[in-house]
Amino acid sequence: MRVPIKWLRDYVDPRLAPEELAHRLTMAGLEAEKTERTGAGWDHVYVGFVHDVRPHPNADRLVLADVSAGEHRLTVVTGAPNVAAGQKVAIALAGARLWDTHSETPQLKTLKPGMLRGVKSEGMVCSEKELGLSDEHEGILVLDPGAPEGVPLADWLGDTVVEFEITPNLVHAFSVRGIAREAAAVTGQPLDEPPRFDLDAAPPGAGDLVRIDAPDLCPRYAAVVIEGITVAPSPDWLARRLTAAGLRPINNVVDVTNYVMLELGQPLHAFDRANLRGGRIVVRRAGNDEPIETLDHQQRRLDGEMLVIADAERAVAVAGVMGGVDSEVSAATTTVLLESANFGMASVRRTARLLKLRTDASARFERGLDPNLASDAAARATHLLLDLCPGSRVTAARDVYPSPVVPWAVRFPFSRFERVVGIAYPPEQVVSVLERLGFGVALPGGAGGDVIVTVPTHRTDVTIAEDVIEEVARIVGYEGLPDTLPAGRTPPVFRDPIALLQRRVRAALVGAGCYEAITYVSVSESMLAPFDSIGDRRGLVLDAPAADLLRLVNPMPGDRPILRPTLIPSLLERVAENLKHAPSVRLCELARVYLPTEPDALPREANVAAITLSGRREPLSRFAADPLPLDFFDVKGVVDAALAAAGAPEVEYRPFTHGALHPGRAAEACVGQTRVGVLGELHPRVAAGFGIENGRVAVAELDLDALLALGGDRSPVEVRVPKFLPVSQDFAVVVAKQTPAAEVERALRQAAGPLLTDLALFDVFAGEQIGDDKKSLTFRLTFASPDRALTDAELTKTRGKIEKTLAQRVGGSLRG
Amino acid sequence: MTNATTTFDTTLADLRDRALAALAVADDPEAMAAWERAYLGAKGELTGLLRGLGALSAAERPGAGRAANAVKQELTAAFAARNEAVASVSLEAQLAADAIDVTLPGRAPILGAEHPVTRMVAELGEIFALMGFQTVYGPEVETGHYNFDLLNIPSDHPARDVWDTMIVQSEREEIVLRTHTSPMQARTMEQTEPPVRVIVPGRAYRYEAQDASHEWMFHQLEGLAVDERITLADLKGVLTELARQLFGPQRKVRFRCDFFPFVEPGVDFAVDCAICGGGGCRVCKQTGWLEMGGAGMVHPRVLRGVGYDPDRYTGFAFGLGIERMIMMKYGVDDVRAFAGNDLRFLRRMARLAA
Ligand SMILES: [Zn+2]
Repeated sequence: MRVPIKWLRDYVDPRLAPEELAHRLTMAGLEAEKTERTGAGWDHVYVGFVHDVRPHPNADRLVLADVSAGEHRLTVVTGAPNVAAGQKVAIALAGARLWDTHSETPQLKTLKPGMLRGVKSEGMVCSEKELGLSDEHEGILVLDPGAPEGVPLADWLGDTVVEFEITPNLVHAFSVRGIAREAAAVTGQPLDEPPRFDLDAAPPGAGDLVRIDAPDLCPRYAAVVIEGITVAPSPDWLARRLTAAGLRPINNVVDVTNYVMLELGQPLHAFDRANLRGGRIVVRRAGNDEPIETLDHQQRRLDGEMLVIADAERAVAVAGVMGGVDSEVSAATTTVLLESANFGMASVRRTARLLKLRTDASARFERGLDPNLASDAAARATHLLLDLCPGSRVTAARDVYPSPVVPWAVRFPFSRFERVVGIAYPPEQVVSVLERLGFGVALPGGAGGDVIVTVPTHRTDVTIAEDVIEEVARIVGYEGLPDTLPAGRTPPVFRDPIALLQRRVRAALVGAGCYEAITYVSVSESMLAPFDSIGDRRGLVLDAPAADLLRLVNPMPGDRPILRPTLIPSLLERVAENLKHAPSVRLCELARVYLPTEPDALPREANVAAITLSGRREPLSRFAADPLPLDFFDVKGVVDAALAAAGAPEVEYRPFTHGALHPGRAAEACVGQTRVGVLGELHPRVAAGFGIENGRVAVAELDLDALLALGGDRSPVEVRVPKFLPVSQDFAVVVAKQTPAAEVERALRQAAGPLLTDLALFDVFAGEQIGDDKKSLTFRLTFASPDRALTDAELTKTRGKIEKTLAQRVGGSLRG
Repeated sequence: MTNATTTFDTTLADLRDRALAALAVADDPEAMAAWERAYLGAKGELTGLLRGLGALSAAERPGAGRAANAVKQELTAAFAARNEAVASVSLEAQLAADAIDVTLPGRAPILGAEHPVTRMVAELGEIFALMGFQTVYGPEVETGHYNFDLLNIPSDHPARDVWDTMIVQSEREEIVLRTHTSPMQARTMEQTEPPVRVIVPGRAYRYEAQDASHEWMFHQLEGLAVDERITLADLKGVLTELARQLFGPQRKVRFRCDFFPFVEPGVDFAVDCAICGGGGCRVCKQTGWLEMGGAGMVHPRVLRGVGYDPDRYTGFAFGLGIERMIMMKYGVDDVRAFAGNDLRFLRRMARLAA
């Protein structure tokens, strides 16, 4: 809400510079978002008086005006059609900085005296546009006749406008008076009231002038009928205040309703009574599909739960939202019916939402207005209208208010201030702050008893002790609040098992060279399409039926509506992006995937870790002459490291088939029957789909929840520090070419028994010497015993056993 | 003294003199080895001479043997000394030949790094653990019940509009991407009795157009403490502690009244800018203060909603924006970098935060 400080000063003199006031209010909860000064740049611009206007000797469209401004007397040449002798104008002298009206883009220009068609112009009479007040440039700005000639224009017309953010609880401060009340409380200055018309003294009018058929949605409706209205443009001061507050002046009647809305927070509406059939008001629910053309010239259809203002026959306004064109005030209007009513917040909110019509009125009603404000606003608007339309008079004033709202009490132990805030406020301070805010306070038992606070009805946000406590705390200010640490019991602190596992896995991945990424949780259809598996499921290590995946109703632009069942597609986008500048990209992410459980229920949020590797394995350096691409075995090594960090026992890799992966380079990692991970190189077509055209992309995804369920046993075991030297032996095993290395390894481990401490496969060889259908795998086995040095006899025995087992289990023989 | 012994002595003396003279000019390991072979080796001269002792008479033999052994010891010692000197010179020559240009680049290990958000969450987790706060996690896909209703944000209230909610398709229940980590307040309190001290780090989502300071997915850290005597001053104390651990020991925390439906009184809190010392700079937008997040005393309606007695228990809650904290601590100027995951940014942040 934009608040011109001069307007605020009608109510309170804060005795502070606007910036300081804005800061104080901000600290008290009324956030000033920005402060603008109008007239800050009006140096060398004064209030001038036009003594005479003469024709230009050489130009029909120009005139010469003799203007004075204090000791300055000058003649200016102007083409303004509206300049006339006797006017007060804004006169700019040489050196003034004015907005250039001939420039496409807004820019300031310094005024210099110049010759216009042979006559010297010593200054300029300004339009609103030249002063930066508005876009008005048809004629010059004509000032109020009371403007004091010779004073700087900024003193007369300049103002500071502070824009406040009105949070939903601040309905009581959604007006100039409301903010003035806050300013009075913060500064301790008195609050004034503006003049009002005494409606009680007005004739009551016909008994059926106003009828409320829906009292549940309309607690109060006050109507004032004013005859003898002359619709005309508003006077300067009114138009200027509205403009400064951000509203466009329309005519005196509409402007008064807007002015009072801004001033008091109560939306008002003026009907042309001649266009109200039956001349009366009925507040009722709309008929189903009832039509109305609103002031924005939209044809709208209403439903039976929307509240309308109707005349004897038809809806003439959507209550609390917008009026209808049929009863709009026009130049021909002479009698207005002024509405100042209260409508239920939920009803207005619903209607505004359904009609997609948010107005200044609905924004206020939606927050829950005080019904007692309606009569105040009617009286204030009536005063202003009578003032602006001499000869007009009130012929009827009707106020239907069956159940008046009265102030309520909040009672609580005074000691609660200290319990909540941690400060024992002196009782006098509490009383003084609350009274400045308009609350009644009683402390019958002093600081040791209860405090009884009577809440003014405009403070709909204050209903419990804590609300009152905040009022005191915010006005006193939080600068004096001490910092203490919570005393008392500390609950036991546990470490979350999945978080611990994630930490270990993350450390392993980072240690293996991956940068951790954090990517968006939603993906598009096309990103996810390649990640299909049997039965139209989507995902990688975990998956779900494509049709059941969770979708956003309102995805961000770019259409990524699906909550992802796999992290890989989102990471691939980042890989592609990074490959534009980085020779190799290793990314990992630890995040959740969203797996549908049952319809309309929360999904299972499964914890997974994903790895994507692409580019050259080693950085460009003098050590790596041959830039080998990262491939399956790189990601497998990273997966091994991660699984080891996760404490996974006995991982087995099996060939795997998945639509997104290379048919010959993909595996699943299993522990027993549980799949804990999927890894492989991306299918080249899928990689190309993500914009990775050349080169391999190795990916993996691990199911951390499964790993947690499997491993996890970190209870103590016996760890004996090695004391005897180990013995290493190499075994070159010749097997059939198609025999998986893992099977040979399993046979070796089984045969080697408990003395085996380490096993490494370090050579794979195929060649004529061993036969075309064979391969040779060379392992180095390391043996050790915790309690003795191994003897040659033991090792020879083990070797014999290995030889036998290899022959039996994998048809292998030892070479060399 | 016989003739034979005289001859033996002469030969021995001659051998000794020649050997020492030859040793003095041996100046590399090969010459040293040749010398050793020639004089002290199994087929060397001295060994030969000792073998000749048998030709002497029994009376002459002991004296001659002693003299020969003395020469052997002398030559052996001289060899050892000379050998060490020659070896040392030779090693030095070898090392000199082995010298490298130490300014050449080293073999770079392949290093990764945690995401800056992870690091900040971990750092905050440590700081709060020291103050007795347990880290808990909650669902990112939430019901309207937990995300709004239990937090005193009823569906017909305009306060609900403040959160630009991303909604998940659902026929029955209202399901959303959580707009804040606050739903875990209610979930935690439903599951435990006071005292409660938890922090909740995690992702949160708002339907918001992206720009340098807005991102639709971001990370928050929620804090909650409930017990019989928790006050707003305790909240300020905990946040001051946080600010000092994170931004330096001199930092001050400022509270400003603000509105959040689930706290009353509600505040937003700021820390004085460590970069400019409060004088105003780009990072603090010339205000001298860095706004960190919202906080306040848990609203009695929230306490009652989870079955806590608000007359007996009070509590505080606060919410921090993780990306915001990183941006303020390190002067990062575009929030979109966090989901952008550009390796250049991640590397730079890893170095900064190390
Ligand atoms: Zn600063």
